Amino acid sequence: MSQTPETQSIDLQDLSVITTRPHTFKQNLHRVPPPRRYKTSKQLFTDEQKYLQTKDIKFDTPTWQSIGAPPSLKPNKHYCDITGLEGRYKNPSNGLRFHNVEIYQEVIRNMPPGVDQEYLKLRGANVVLK
Amino acid sequence: MAPSKIKQEEAALPPQEVYYLKETPTPLTPEPFYTNYHQGVPIALDIGASSFKVGLTNANEPNNVFPSVLARYRYRKKPVTVTIVGNDVYRDPLLKTSIKSPFDGPLLTNWDYVESMLDYTFEHLGVTSNNGKLNNPIIMTEPVGCPLSQRTNMYELLFEAYQAPKVTFGIDSLFAFHANSKPNSDGLVIGTGHELTHVIPVVGGKGILLQTKRIDWGGNLSQQFLARLLGMKYPYFPSKITSDHTTNMFKDFCYILENYSDQLKGFLDMPNLEQNDVVIQAPVDLSLHTVKKKSEEELAKQLQRKKEQGRRLQEQQQQKRLEKKIQKQEELDYYSKLRDEIATISKQEQLDRVVDEGFEDLGEFNKYVKNLEKTLKSKDDDEDEGPVDPATAWPLVDIPDDQLNDEQIKEKRKQKLLKGNYDARERNKEIQRQEEEAKLQREKEEIEWRERDLEDWSNSKRLKVAELIGKHTEKVKLLESFKDRKSMAAQQRMKNITDLANDQSVGASGNASNRKRRRAAASIDNDPTDTFGANDDDWGVYREITNSSLEEDLDQISKQIVAIEEDLLNYDPSFHHEDTFSASQTFDWQNLVLHKFVHGPRPNLNLALQTEGIPAEEIANHPEIILKNHQMHLNIERIRVPEVLFQPHTAGLDQAGIIELLSDLLWKRLDGNFNPGGQAYNLIQNILITGGLANLKNFDKRVQTELTGVLPVGAPLKVRTAKNPITDAWKGMQKWSQDEESKHSYVSKAEYEEYGPEYIKEHGLGNVCLR
Repeated sequence: MSQTPETQSIDLQDLSVITTRPHTFKQNLHRVPPPRRYKTSKQLFTDEQKYLQTKDIKFDTPTWQSIGAPPSLKPNKHYCDITGLEGRYKNPSNGLRFHNVEIYQEVIRNMPPGVDQEYLKLRGANVVLK
Repeated sequence: MAPSKIKQEEAALPPQEVYYLKETPTPLTPEPFYTNYHQGVPIALDIGASSFKVGLTNANEPNNVFPSVLARYRYRKKPVTVTIVGNDVYRDPLLKTSIKSPFDGPLLTNWDYVESMLDYTFEHLGVTSNNGKLNNPIIMTEPVGCPLSQRTNMYELLFEAYQAPKVTFGIDSLFAFHANSKPNSDGLVIGTGHELTHVIPVVGGKGILLQTKRIDWGGNLSQQFLARLLGMKYPYFPSKITSDHTTNMFKDFCYILENYSDQLKGFLDMPNLEQNDVVIQAPVDLSLHTVKKKSEEELAKQLQRKKEQGRRLQEQQQQKRLEKKIQKQEELDYYSKLRDEIATISKQEQLDRVVDEGFEDLGEFNKYVKNLEKTLKSKDDDEDEGPVDPATAWPLVDIPDDQLNDEQIKEKRKQKLLKGNYDARERNKEIQRQEEEAKLQREKEEIEWRERDLEDWSNSKRLKVAELIGKHTEKVKLLESFKDRKSMAAQQRMKNITDLANDQSVGASGNASNRKRRRAAASIDNDPTDTFGANDDDWGVYREITNSSLEEDLDQISKQIVAIEEDLLNYDPSFHHEDTFSASQTFDWQNLVLHKFVHGPRPNLNLALQTEGIPAEEIANHPEIILKNHQMHLNIERIRVPEVLFQPHTAGLDQAGIIELLSDLLWKRLDGNFNPGGQAYNLIQNILITGGLANLKNFDKRVQTELTGVLPVGAPLKVRTAKNPITDAWKGMQKWSQDEESKHSYVSKAEYEEYGPEYIKEHGLGNVCLR
């Protein structure tokens, strides 16, 4: 690490004080902080969905859900799962796409178990057991 | 490359430029504090998932731009917890592991962090107050179609904690459009973000949210995708690659191809790869890996020492043998003297003397002396064994038995044996000599043949080589098929093994008692007929049926091929080094996609060192190899990762790409009128790309080319990139804060308290109310 002496002299605690000291602009004595339960984005989206269902909204109101891009209507182009080149061929046993015979012989045929699913996972084509 | 007789050395390519793994550097200057603070001036806060752009709107640039990260660190010794925000987290390596973001995906989730970050922000904007409240209006960004919980929390924070007088929210991409366009213009924004990408049409300076579409892909997901791809490409990479590293790799090296499917085809081909491939070097401490190598001198010394030791041992052995011999000689001398002495005295006295010497009786004594004589004599014989003269060595052999006495007959038998041995040796020698002669003769004939009719000779030789190669490949195939447990050959082999094992175990256990036991208790687990393994010799079956003979055959065949090819190389002018079997078998990396993908446009150093005959251990410790092992090659990843925006299915995202969204929007959801006066006609003249990914090279060109293909001929398409994709949203906020529209878009504290968190005032650059 190349640190200039100037940056080295900065003390983390001094830096921290800027954020943590009492602020002149934040002196609401009556404030009761709301109970904050940590929720992931996923949970927040389901909450939002439930909330929207309680509202009687018009079909053309833009909401988080309605503006999501629809699935593509065009046929997907195929690419080699290993290299990313054009994927002309498909291994019938696990569905991996490959560019040429070399990729098949060198990679796919000698693939340790499970790795094929890892490759498929990259494009969301893996088998999910529930 | 022209064909040649000798193996050509590959032209040495210059070493590739190496880039080092990049981490976010320690900031050189401290985060600036704003000096021109005034109460009442709106504060614009662009709170992106990647970075915060904040400033008072009486300036033209955001005062602070810092990554949206925060680190809480607790010192062990003194119980103090520090809270460090933004660029400052990179000041101390201590904090590295505790860097967190208030975002989870596209939404703010950790509101404690948000509050700390806002405290930090306002302090750096120089905010001071005399009434304990934040006395500035707030303009803030929020996601398109912002979930209620998000806005509720933010309202609560701004109105309750900071007691801001009024607040308004807007959409970052629309603010960026506002900064880059004339007032009330039409256009389209492609807003790329950390987690999301939006396509928003703008008509008359107002965003049309109803026709907005969102792709759930952005810079952070690209970075993660790159990390996963590299993880699959280099599964055993020795050093850890952090998201900081991949983010920098993505920013520095990824770009968009103008025409993906065409340019992808030749992407790994040799001349192109030279510039498409980027080498990333992870830091490695070579001094840890270098093992002290023994010099030539030291090796010679070691050998000398070994030899010396051997010689000394031999000398000792010889000395010992000599001593033993002398001892035996002395013994013999003593006992023969004794024998001579006792020859003259009576039997009883003889016995007494012998018993005194430690023998049991006279017989044993005589036997002992005789043995001594014999051993000494044979030792003497060993030493002199010269060449044998066949004429005189065995004189008795040809004399008939009846002319000899018993002793001589015995001797004759011995001589006969010796003569037989000698003759056999001679015969072998003769056969060898004849073979050599025949070989010379054959060679001579071949030379004659070659000189007489070179074409015929070379044809027959080539045929022979082809035949051998056929055999070779057949054997290789067989050997290969043994690896697959299910192949025909392997199954047959297993059958043979079981047959062999059965034969042997039946033979071993064929007696009556076994048969009786067999009848007593028979189960699957304990089958008495199956005694394989009870006898250790049973396992020898596996030794008998190894594939080593097959490998030996392969070796022999390839030796033969090489020998014939050598002749062809020497005498057939049309046979070149490239035609040899070994040349066809060698690893030509320039033709191997996989090699170029993983190792880039340079030959494999490991193989080169192996062919030089350097032992494996030394190769593993070779400094070049260690460096190479810590290198990654980015080539297809550079274009494959950004391509997800255009083909989201390549990353498993079931959504349409940017171009499909745009064309769908223009043709179907808008009026699809590309003539002057049409809505689509106006929009396509002003397509703006903004957000972090707009910095990717060729983004605008790609959109331009692909859209041209979709739109009618002559449509006045114009695609451009925002002047400064990162800060333009903030500038738009600053510009908008001066507009008349902004004045009546704020929600005041009183309104918030009356209408609750669902209440917003709609304006052209923000979200809309639920209807």
